[in-house]
Amino acid sequence: MIVVNGVTKAFSTGSSEVRAVDNVDLRVQQGDFVLILGRSGSGKSTLLGMLAGLLRPTTGTVRIRGMDISTLSDDKMAELRSQDIGFVFQFSGLIPTVTALENVMIPMLFSADGSGNRAKALDLLKQVGVADRADAYPGTLSSGEMKRVAIARALINGPSILIADEPTGDLDVDTESEIMALFRQLNSEGITIVMVTHNPDLIPCATKIYRMSHGRMVENLDSTLCLKGPKIRDEYKDQP
Amino acid sequence: MNRKMHIFTLIMAGVRNRPGRNLATIFCFAFIAANIFSAQYLVAGGEGNVDQGISRMGADIIVVPAQYEVLFKGIQMGPVKANGILRVEPSNLRVSNDILDKIGKVKGISNMSPQLFVATHTIPELSSSPVDIYGIDPATDFTIQPWLQRPPDRILGPGEVIIGSDIAGDLSSKISVSGHQYTVAGKLDPTRSAIDHSIFLPMDDAYTLAAAEEINSPSSSHIDKGSISAVLVKAGPDADPEMVGARIQQPFSLAYIRVIGRNFALEPVSREVQGLPNLLNMISVIVILASLPLIALIAAMVTHERQREIGLLRALGAKRKVIFSLVMAESLILSTVGGITGVGISLTVFILAHTLGFFRTALLDSFRMPDPGATVLMAMLAVVVVIAIGSIAALWPAYQSSMMNPYDAIRNEG
Repeated sequence: MIVVNGVTKAFSTGSSEVRAVDNVDLRVQQGDFVLILGRSGSGKSTLLGMLAGLLRPTTGTVRIRGMDISTLSDDKMAELRSQDIGFVFQFSGLIPTVTALENVMIPMLFSADGSGNRAKALDLLKQVGVADRADAYPGTLSSGEMKRVAIARALINGPSILIADEPTGDLDVDTESEIMALFRQLNSEGITIVMVTHNPDLIPCATKIYRMSHGRMVENLDSTLCLKGPKIRDEYKDQP
Repeated sequence: MNRKMHIFTLIMAGVRNRPGRNLATIFCFAFIAANIFSAQYLVAGGEGNVDQGISRMGADIIVVPAQYEVLFKGIQMGPVKANGILRVEPSNLRVSNDILDKIGKVKGISNMSPQLFVATHTIPELSSSPVDIYGIDPATDFTIQPWLQRPPDRILGPGEVIIGSDIAGDLSSKISVSGHQYTVAGKLDPTRSAIDHSIFLPMDDAYTLAAAEEINSPSSSHIDKGSISAVLVKAGPDADPEMVGARIQQPFSLAYIRVIGRNFALEPVSREVQGLPNLLNMISVIVILASLPLIALIAAMVTHERQREIGLLRALGAKRKVIFSLVMAESLILSTVGGITGVGISLTVFILAHTLGFFRTALLDSFRMPDPGATVLMAMLAVVVVIAIGSIAALWPAYQSSMMNPYDAIRNEG
């Protein structure tokens, strides 16, 4: 479904060049729950940005269902983000001046019919467990509620891929568990999930686990290892 | 519950965001609109009044029988407020209207018109003050008719009169003077002078009335047909009134006529007033030019402040043209609200000021509100100009926002 071949992303900083992602290969199948581990600055978020069509690789290709998205026009990229990819940001990423329900509806404004269907958005809020907060503004929501609203927003246009950048980074343990349970449920419903995190506690959720370091994909772990969650978790805690 | 959300919801959310800042932006737009509208309104409402005010300033020179100057030492130069000569003072001194031919040949004259004082009567049914009756030449008169409340649609005809503001009678009503019936063809604005209780007849009617007066009252002074009390003269715009006066006097003996000049102290004011529309328009242009960078700066600050939000929208699938439209639409809404507010406040102030009489000045008797059609056009013009300013100023920030890299916004989130 997603095939990343030899992708490099370099940023210029004055006279020097920094390779945030360096010659990375990645394959994601339909229905996968992919976890990309790595410390801050390892390049995992940059890679995620390229998977989501937010960044163009300096070299290499990112193919989604066989289409090289790095060659798409800016508008086509926007269409891709609107229709095929749901994105959950590290922080809530909610627009503060509209309600939770309206936040969920925003991506619908950029889709083909250009208007937001409230019933559909409300259904999604029910699905993620915050329907009772539909008319609340983001400023009045808890971190967990905001994350749920953000997930509902990512799902509103029925994407086949959900990309999440440290979605539990700012949550307490209980809320993190609830959110991860939600991701697992969505994955079980057929949505492909690619998530980056620096938290190895999330390993048991994944079907595929990658680890990045200094812009490179240094390990590609078999999904069966996920079953050995606690052991792997302990090993990864000591990784650079 | 299947209501739809539209892009307008997002635009309005942007407008509602940070009400203090948006109110300040609206205030800027309102200030510009108020300035443009006020300038246009004053020009339109005052233009006629400026012309009228100048036309009401009367004559520069009055040519009178020689003894007149002696008779009226410290001559009353017509109504104080105009400080010009509007009419000859009541007197039985007269000269032949033959002098008109000679005066007419003098270089530098733009207007000249004879006046004849007929009599002063006490007519209680017309005025509590004695009524001065004058003959004028309606075709050449330039001192009395500019004071008409309504511009005349035709020249004063036989049997018609113009009455001062204190004379009882409305337009088309009949008044009686010494048994003669006249139709009121025009009523003058208040001059706060003796003109307010004067009646003006066409010259031929004045002679007829004078002849009847003589019959009715043998003590009345005899008025020959063709005699006049004075000639009122206006110097041309480029002529020196004193020089014109000297030229008028030249062919006549000092024992026959005297040329008296008005007090020209007001002349510089007149020139300033003539330049007022240009000044107001210039102020408008300066305000527009000065406001463009200011509004552009505000728009740039606003969009910079909202980088993250705009980037998020891009990340959620908004195309560049959508972001461009959002920023432009917000500017459009703020400028429209500001424009309408500014025009509304200005108009309210004008109406209040007019109602309370603040526009009454020495030169402009009263500010005349432009008609509703013209007011609507001026209001629309001011709002459109403000919208144009807002749109032009928002172009660059809107373009920059549309080109924003969504990834950067996401990375900056939090």
